[in-house]
Amino acid sequence: MSQENDTKTFRYPLRWRIMDALEAALDVLWPRRLSPYSGWALIMPALLLVGILVLGLFQIAESSLHVLDRSTFMPAEEYTLANYEMVADSATYWRVLWRSLLGAGLTVFFTLLLALPYSYIMVRTPSAAVRKALLVALFLPFFIGQVVRAYGILIVLGTSGAVNDVLGLFGVEPVRLLFNFPAVVFGLVQYMLPFAVLMLAPALTAIPRETETAASSLGANWVRTFWHVVIPMAKPGLVGAGLVVGTLSLTDFAMPAMLGGGSQDFIANAIYDQFFRTADQGLGAALALLLVALGSILVGIVIAVFGAGTLGMGGKK
Amino acid sequence: MTSKLTRRGVLRAGMATSGAALLSGLPATRLLAQEPEKPTEIIVRAWGGEWVEALKKGVSDPFTEMTGIAVRHDLTEDNEIQPKVWAAVAQGRVPPIHINWDTTTNATKSALRGVTEDLSDLSNLANTTELAKPVGLDGYPLVNTYGYVYVLAYRPDAFPDGPPNSWKDLLDPKFKGRIALYNDGIGFHFPAQVAGGGSLDDIPENMDACWDFVRQIKEQNPLLGEDPDFTTWFQNGEIDAACTISTNALGAKRNGVDLAWTVPEEGCKFDTDCLWIPKNLPENELYWAKQYINLALTQEGQQVWLDGLGLPGVVPGLTPPEGLAGDPSYPTEPEDFERLIRISSAVQVQNESDWFAKFKEIMQG
Repeated sequence: MSQENDTKTFRYPLRWRIMDALEAALDVLWPRRLSPYSGWALIMPALLLVGILVLGLFQIAESSLHVLDRSTFMPAEEYTLANYEMVADSATYWRVLWRSLLGAGLTVFFTLLLALPYSYIMVRTPSAAVRKALLVALFLPFFIGQVVRAYGILIVLGTSGAVNDVLGLFGVEPVRLLFNFPAVVFGLVQYMLPFAVLMLAPALTAIPRETETAASSLGANWVRTFWHVVIPMAKPGLVGAGLVVGTLSLTDFAMPAMLGGGSQDFIANAIYDQFFRTADQGLGAALALLLVALGSILVGIVIAVFGAGTLGMGGKK
Repeated sequence: MTSKLTRRGVLRAGMATSGAALLSGLPATRLLAQEPEKPTEIIVRAWGGEWVEALKKGVSDPFTEMTGIAVRHDLTEDNEIQPKVWAAVAQGRVPPIHINWDTTTNATKSALRGVTEDLSDLSNLANTTELAKPVGLDGYPLVNTYGYVYVLAYRPDAFPDGPPNSWKDLLDPKFKGRIALYNDGIGFHFPAQVAGGGSLDDIPENMDACWDFVRQIKEQNPLLGEDPDFTTWFQNGEIDAACTISTNALGAKRNGVDLAWTVPEEGCKFDTDCLWIPKNLPENELYWAKQYINLALTQEGQQVWLDGLGLPGVVPGLTPPEGLAGDPSYPTEPEDFERLIRISSAVQVQNESDWFAKFKEIMQG
């Protein structure tokens, strides 16, 4: 009798009903017998995206095998490697390639140099106010687009900009700070710093504070602790941040275009010129493929040297 | 007896009648009944800054006033819109713009590719000078609308002894890092050929003299940019001299920058810009796009538009803007052209890519 009463008074919660409905709907959409393939279903959107990218790469590869017919400004019918030969024979493209690599390398170095202490202080500071201030300082420029930031740099570092105004207070004549290679690297470092900090912070957070305390108790000073404990343990973050900063810098367009004064082109600028200035899509496609190949090789080398495990992907430790 | 109506016939008839209505300034509501359906807007690709302001004032606003059709200006760079238009036509899509305001050299590439509509039936072509006709192309796949000069613009206080007489004056060490050129060298190749001791007759076969002079200029660490950069650099005091279109120098001067320009003894490049319509537009939109260009070829339209640009048009009887009568950047008489260098579009189209590449090779060093 009492059992009957219990059944009558029990109200099936709405949340349960919703969950049951969702489960029923899921059973219709994705029956249980398909559960072995659930992993593939989850990865399918990513595979589709990559598939579209690969399809585009095939099309780019196809167009890179045609030279421009200047009598009609259409790609010639014949297949040829002439565009690749032109790149290989051109001193300009080798110079641009070298500049891109050097720029990316320097950007990685200086960005990590600045990002590591910034992230460390942000993670370890006991003051919530300092942490918040550092986060705000990090995210404010992060929300501003690259082009706007480059314009900001143009204003600040211009001949009549704020920096030269300050130098003028000390009797220094205005100096040209812009439109050279260091200006491009400066712009890239400024742009990449938030990316690097955001990638380093979780890696540093994962290092138990006790390890540093243990090092200190064994007689290591702060510098030795940082060098022998923190940096090695932060390696996954450093490698990940380095990869992201390096590949983004290698393929950057805006900073060389805006801060380079037209004479500090990176590969992306050369690709732009071919697609949009000379209408030679074949040559532009060849350069684009070479850039993809270069980036992929660099990433491959980094993973081979440091191991996928360093990036938290398992495998070699 | 039946008469077969063709698309061309309809367009020609409509253009003759409503073109007359446009010129007479009839309000939109009184345009003739047989005109095709009006689109809500037409899109005209244009250059920004004083360029688009002048076009708006001289052509776009009067067009909207007369037809009721809004004009949207697409400020995508001419080089960037080109592949988009080409791709749209190749794929049978409606192109992203109705009218392209373009350099004649760029437009000639599009004409050679076959993506431009023929404009031979524009009624106002009858009133234009020879400059309006594209050279080396059949009919009017594009219409030149004005000429311009790549002058040597300079800050007078940087040249206290008077205007520079020669492009070689830019080699003075005091101008190291203080001069600017277009980032593909456009406008500079031909005077550089002369300044380097070569002959214009050798273009395009032998341009060694040009490249020698460009190498000398490279030692001066020139800034390389686009139209808006020149104005900004002059305004910010970054440069003392530049090879740029006179309109940019005029724009900077109108913005209060102390600036002057000259045609040095080696000469300056003279070229033209044009308007053209991409293929694959719906019939009615093509009709109204043509009406827009027709209006741009009226004396009133040219006068206001080119007053803004400070450039000589393709319709006789235009009054030079204040201060530009007799200016070397505003050639109107045959003798004005004696120190200007004009190379055919055909030669430029065939060789421009090589010249750009060679210029880049030197400047990227």
